Amino acid sequence: MCRYSVYTLVLLLFLLGFISKHHSKSTNPSKLLDLSAQSFRQILQSSRTCFVYFGKHVNPGIEAFLEQLEMSAHALEDYGIMVGKVRNHIIFNKYSSTLIALDQGAEVLRSFDVDTVFDVNAIVSHVLFSVLFNEVRYVHTPAELLAVERAARGTRDVVMGHIQVLGLPEHRALMEAAFVYGTKYQFVQTTGAPLLKHMGVADPASVPARLWFLHCSGVTHRSEPCPHTLMRKPLTTINIHTFLQLMEAPLLVEASVDPEEVNVVFSHLNVPVLFLFTQSETMQLDRDTAQSVARRLRGEVGVVLIHRDNLGVKTALKYNAVYQLPQEEVRYLSLKNTDEVVNLFREQLEEEEEADEDEGDEDQWSSLDVLDDEVAESVYRDRGLTLDTDSLSELTDQTFSTAVTQSRLMVVLFYLKWDAVSMAFLQSYLEVAEALEGVGGVELGSVDCGEWTVICRDQNITSFPSVLLYHSTHPPQRYRGMLGTTSLHRFLLSQVPSPVFLSSSAEVLSFLEGDLYNTHSTLTPIRVLGLYLPTDTDVLVFEEAAQSLRGEIILGLFVHEEAQRWADEHSVMLPALLVSRGSGIQPEAHSLSSSSSSTSSTSSTSQDLLSQIQRFTLDPFPELGVENLPGYVEVGKPLLVLFVGGEESVEVLQSLEEMRKAQSTGHLHSSLPCWIHLGRTPAGRSVLESYLGFVPPLPALVLSQLNTGGEVFHFPPERPLLAAEIIQWLQRVQNGQEPPAGMISDEAWGPPVPFYNFLSVMDEEAPGYAAQRSHKTKPGAKRGSERGAEHNSPQTSPQTSPQPPPHTEL
Amino acid sequence: MTEGAAMVRVLMELVLAILCLLSVVSRVLSVSGEHYGINKTHHHDYCILGAGPAGLQMGYFLSRSHRDYIILERNTGPGSFFQRYPRHRKLISINKIYTGRQNKEFNLRHDWNSLLSDQPDLLFQRVSEDLYPHADAYPLYLSMFERELGLRVKYATDIGKVRAADFTGSKGYILTDQHGADYKCRVLFVCTGLWVPQQVDFVGSDLVEGYESIPTDPEDYKNQAVLILGKGNSAFETAQSILGRASRIHMYSPSPVRLAWKTHYVGDLRAVNNELLDTYQLKSLDGLVEGGLEDIAIVRRGQDGGKSRRTGGKKRTVKSTERKEQFYLTLSELLDNRNSNKSGNITAENLPGYHDDNFSLRQPYDRVIRCLGFRFNFSIYDGSARLLHSSCARGRLPALTAWYEGRGTPNLFVLGTAAHSRDYRMSAGGFIHGFRYTVRAVHKVLEQRYHNIAWPATRLSTSQLLSWILKRVNEASGPYQMFGVLGDVILLQGSHCEYLEEFPVQAMPQLSTLSGRLVSEHGLLVLVMQYGLNRTDTLGPGRAESEWTKAWKSNFLHPVIYYYRKLPTEKDMKQRPVGWPLPRPDAVHHMVEDFLTEWDQPISHSQPLRHFLEHCLQTDLRAFYAESCFRLSLTSRKPPLFCQQGYLNKQGFVGNSHLWQHAREAGLMPAHQGSVTPAGDGTFSEFLTHAGAAVTSTINFDL
Repeated sequence: MCRYSVYTLVLLLFLLGFISKHHSKSTNPSKLLDLSAQSFRQILQSSRTCFVYFGKHVNPGIEAFLEQLEMSAHALEDYGIMVGKVRNHIIFNKYSSTLIALDQGAEVLRSFDVDTVFDVNAIVSHVLFSVLFNEVRYVHTPAELLAVERAARGTRDVVMGHIQVLGLPEHRALMEAAFVYGTKYQFVQTTGAPLLKHMGVADPASVPARLWFLHCSGVTHRSEPCPHTLMRKPLTTINIHTFLQLMEAPLLVEASVDPEEVNVVFSHLNVPVLFLFTQSETMQLDRDTAQSVARRLRGEVGVVLIHRDNLGVKTALKYNAVYQLPQEEVRYLSLKNTDEVVNLFREQLEEEEEADEDEGDEDQWSSLDVLDDEVAESVYRDRGLTLDTDSLSELTDQTFSTAVTQSRLMVVLFYLKWDAVSMAFLQSYLEVAEALEGVGGVELGSVDCGEWTVICRDQNITSFPSVLLYHSTHPPQRYRGMLGTTSLHRFLLSQVPSPVFLSSSAEVLSFLEGDLYNTHSTLTPIRVLGLYLPTDTDVLVFEEAAQSLRGEIILGLFVHEEAQRWADEHSVMLPALLVSRGSGIQPEAHSLSSSSSSTSSTSSTSQDLLSQIQRFTLDPFPELGVENLPGYVEVGKPLLVLFVGGEESVEVLQSLEEMRKAQSTGHLHSSLPCWIHLGRTPAGRSVLESYLGFVPPLPALVLSQLNTGGEVFHFPPERPLLAAEIIQWLQRVQNGQEPPAGMISDEAWGPPVPFYNFLSVMDEEAPGYAAQRSHKTKPGAKRGSERGAEHNSPQTSPQTSPQPPPHTEL
Repeated sequence: MTEGAAMVRVLMELVLAILCLLSVVSRVLSVSGEHYGINKTHHHDYCILGAGPAGLQMGYFLSRSHRDYIILERNTGPGSFFQRYPRHRKLISINKIYTGRQNKEFNLRHDWNSLLSDQPDLLFQRVSEDLYPHADAYPLYLSMFERELGLRVKYATDIGKVRAADFTGSKGYILTDQHGADYKCRVLFVCTGLWVPQQVDFVGSDLVEGYESIPTDPEDYKNQAVLILGKGNSAFETAQSILGRASRIHMYSPSPVRLAWKTHYVGDLRAVNNELLDTYQLKSLDGLVEGGLEDIAIVRRGQDGGKSRRTGGKKRTVKSTERKEQFYLTLSELLDNRNSNKSGNITAENLPGYHDDNFSLRQPYDRVIRCLGFRFNFSIYDGSARLLHSSCARGRLPALTAWYEGRGTPNLFVLGTAAHSRDYRMSAGGFIHGFRYTVRAVHKVLEQRYHNIAWPATRLSTSQLLSWILKRVNEASGPYQMFGVLGDVILLQGSHCEYLEEFPVQAMPQLSTLSGRLVSEHGLLVLVMQYGLNRTDTLGPGRAESEWTKAWKSNFLHPVIYYYRKLPTEKDMKQRPVGWPLPRPDAVHHMVEDFLTEWDQPISHSQPLRHFLEHCLQTDLRAFYAESCFRLSLTSRKPPLFCQQGYLNKQGFVGNSHLWQHAREAGLMPAHQGSVTPAGDGTFSEFLTHAGAAVTSTINFDL
């Protein structure tokens, strides 16, 4: 959105010269210039950047503003920008009641409303932002940031500032820093919450302005992310300056003099300094420790490693750390571990934050009582709902074996009541059962594995929910399709013998044309025919594969001398597969023998043949949807996706046609061309948005290197979507001439919530309870706790007191 | 898998055939060498000593895996212990038939008598429907078990001597029966139980009657004052049976009564037998006293003798003249040297009441009964077959490894009640409902050690682990009965895991050797059931915890899952925190105790467990609808595991618009702008009416 607003505001842009923000040979001591028509024209001809106010009325409000303008004239002078006001009517008419920033060469860079540039901070930040428009990248989504990171990788570091509202002092500080350091670092400005999440901020809503330093220059590998350091102080010019200096300073400084005498860069930067010690024997170890501490305190504290071996070092051995706050005495400490060191500073630096965090902790754990799993939550919300399971037969130990042997087709759902996916799927399963009521020969049943554990064990069910098909004559078949109403319903309706044995060429023809089993053509138009000679024993492999594909694809088998004629007709060698995509479409032919030279591997597994068949039946230019995506992702090629909008316009049809055309040239073979209809697959919209950071005008063509590098390329929307252009663009992408428009996250999905650590709770509430015994203490000899005593008592030997047995009525 | 098993079986048969051949040869040799041809030598891979519940249980597992085994029993039927014990003939093991559930595994949690088998109806309830059945039912059940499973038992074979021998490099055992016949066994299981009455040697211990021989007719105790030594279940059982007849029952032993319902140890006093606690606390003449047994003396003092000296006005308690003499409890140090135990010589000074006028047990008794339990019979093991005494249970039990092999006697295992030293006073390993599972565990160890068959494991997708753990937690009887001792082990292997059931957790350091399964760099989980700290009053307020965040304070039996990155070592095990079954893990999860023992609730049980697993596996284990997986698969190169293992495997889970709506309202699924009515459901109903109608008439399910 901001992007567009930027475009629309730069209406009056007529840039003639080059921007050179460093020239500051100001001849005129910068005050607010009152410009006449002539002096304004002069300025237009000079090569100065100028910020000019046009206005004629003077009221109290404007007066206050002019004061701010006056102040900004001082501030902007440092950046070589003149500030003036114009009251001339002629000029005023031309530019109306706005402020404009003029760049050298009299091009209007941008115009502002007084509301936008309300005070000196707003003026400075907006003017600088306009001037630096080409240097400072404005990003909104993680993908955009990744693109910036990619460009910077190995060359320079990135400074990213998050500003909630433009024009505040933080914005000014960031822009001022960008003006100074803009050539050294790539500056990035963002206002968006998505990026905060990306940077690991848990609650983006309540975050003040922030600044990150992304250490990209040292990153060489493409896929490696840039490590980043968060500036923990408020965004002010001086803090940013100090922070950037610290980023430049070495991570760890080493010295051989006493802490009090050390003179390092940190002392000049007014930051706390921590001194750690080492001696020659433990040098490497100490250095590693110091480095890890330094890394954790980076940007806040300077870390110096002192070599004790030098005689100049007088710090007593009992101290292992020294720290010095700016303008304060050094303090000596003995610390036990690195956490303690870090905490020392964290406590001081974040005293006020701590209180907040404690509260946050409480919230955090109570928030764990909210279900964070979409399936579990939606099932939980249905907890008041009782499912009507009348259309299902609930099978038991007693009824199971007869049910599965007596029905011609018994479909059984194995589920667990506490498994959310099981219970959610049960709803779909019931829908299928209701839809199939009255369909002869097929019956749906269910087994609650929480109750009938023996059945589930005997049926080898290790995954819930599972759907098994029991044909009276075949071994049980596991349903391996999508667990959804439509898929399962279609699967069950497509239960024809697999393979269909064909005995004559006439039958083959009828099979391929879809006449045979024509009722099923609406379900799956695809037919696969195996052609084998009667002498070929591999036909058994085909039969096995066909059995496992039952319900998914309708397969025919023609074992006949005449198979040769069919093969010749399609110019393939036997054995062969014919794939028909519907009546009237020429079937595709694939030879099975040519794919593998040795006979042993052909006959090796039906699994190979099965996946081969599945590959052959894939659509060459599929419409991707929720249901079929997996089959195409499996191919492993980059996806060349055409995103089309909800309505079927001529434009959509044309672009699809162009894609087909491009494909027919054979130049798209390195990718998988496909399309997503955002009306039918609304989730595609968020995919597109995630790729590019915004939803571009549709149709949009995107190359998504899902399995190869993770880059996303966007076909330039200004170019016409024509076959030739597509091919050319792909070529440029391959040659690395196109910049990626986004990145697909490579991050693994870690735990979604912080871990509730019982061990640390125990350690805190019952010290020693969860601690390993030290080898010295004997069991039970530990502490006088009740527990210890209780465990001890059975072992105590019988009393040997010489006293009469005491009357101890307990 | 079955193929593999079949092959192994074929191999085993081959091996056995060779063994048979060898044994024939050796028999021929031995016969020719000996003069007494009747003394045959029998060879077996496995010998089981004793046809009680443990012996038959092991016999079943060996027979199921087609091993060469024999069960040797000196009596003529199985379970002879139960022919005599408990003396008052009431079993106190729960036989709960009606649980409201049909789950056979779950029901075993409340069936303490049945043995394990693959016959679903070979349960104890076939012989008795009583919650506390008559003891006669037990041998009946065992006979049925032995008969229906066709177990090989040789009755009337009394093994008097067990010695070790070297069988081609490994230690084996030779058993000799009453006829002098030898049984050479590669592996020996001692399942002889505990039947030697435990006795304590004190002055006058010969005057005491034993639990094993007392009359059980209450009439025999009419108006008698009875002192019972012991406060266990047999002591209270005895007390209970005579409560209505005896005039006074005192119970004396070193430790105070421990109530099973307080300690969760079924060997402690069960409420079934505890009526005497009532009469004691309501001051109705019965009582409990604590004191050592070694230093006491029981003395007999004739009534006449007493009378002649008691001339004064002391009150007389027993007026009956039928009894010649009565027994006094005194201290051995109060007796005169040399002439102890002679009734005539006992004087008032020898009795504690003389020195301490309100001494609790100052009155005489008509009977003193010893009910101190039983001990293992160590006497038949010779030389290197000798079993060591365990340090627990006053040395009554043999010392064993965590996998129930005798310490110092390789290939000799002790099973059943005698194996209780592993979890004495901790768990149920000394009782049928516990050791039936340890026997199964030992059998799995044997299969690995002697036949190279690894511990059975279920291979699971990691995305299915949560459901599977919940399944076990909600039904498994082994870890439930053998809490803290047998635990399920889950070997993590990235996208998959191997689930091993009921491993003896004390043997965790030897997991790989014992089970034949390897621990990968992903580490392992151990699931055990545990009682809690027991810090509160068992029946008092605050005894139950319901907050899952405080689950570690649960007092009742609840599941605990330990996560280790590496297998714990022997040293870790030794130094484990006090009262813990396992060493301090890298992470632990307690599932909060549940009043119904149903750990299946989404917020309190399932989600916290998932979060724990997510932490251990460092991965997101949430479930996603196919639409979410679609989005995540296109926008992430490493989509969540659920999408990888389900959706991308073409087995995504679709859901319906009703459920999506819930998820969207909860903010867990992004809402789509514009077309909120999803294509799936709307078009589906349309699709159904078309396709369904078209197909109904013509579909033909040819098969």
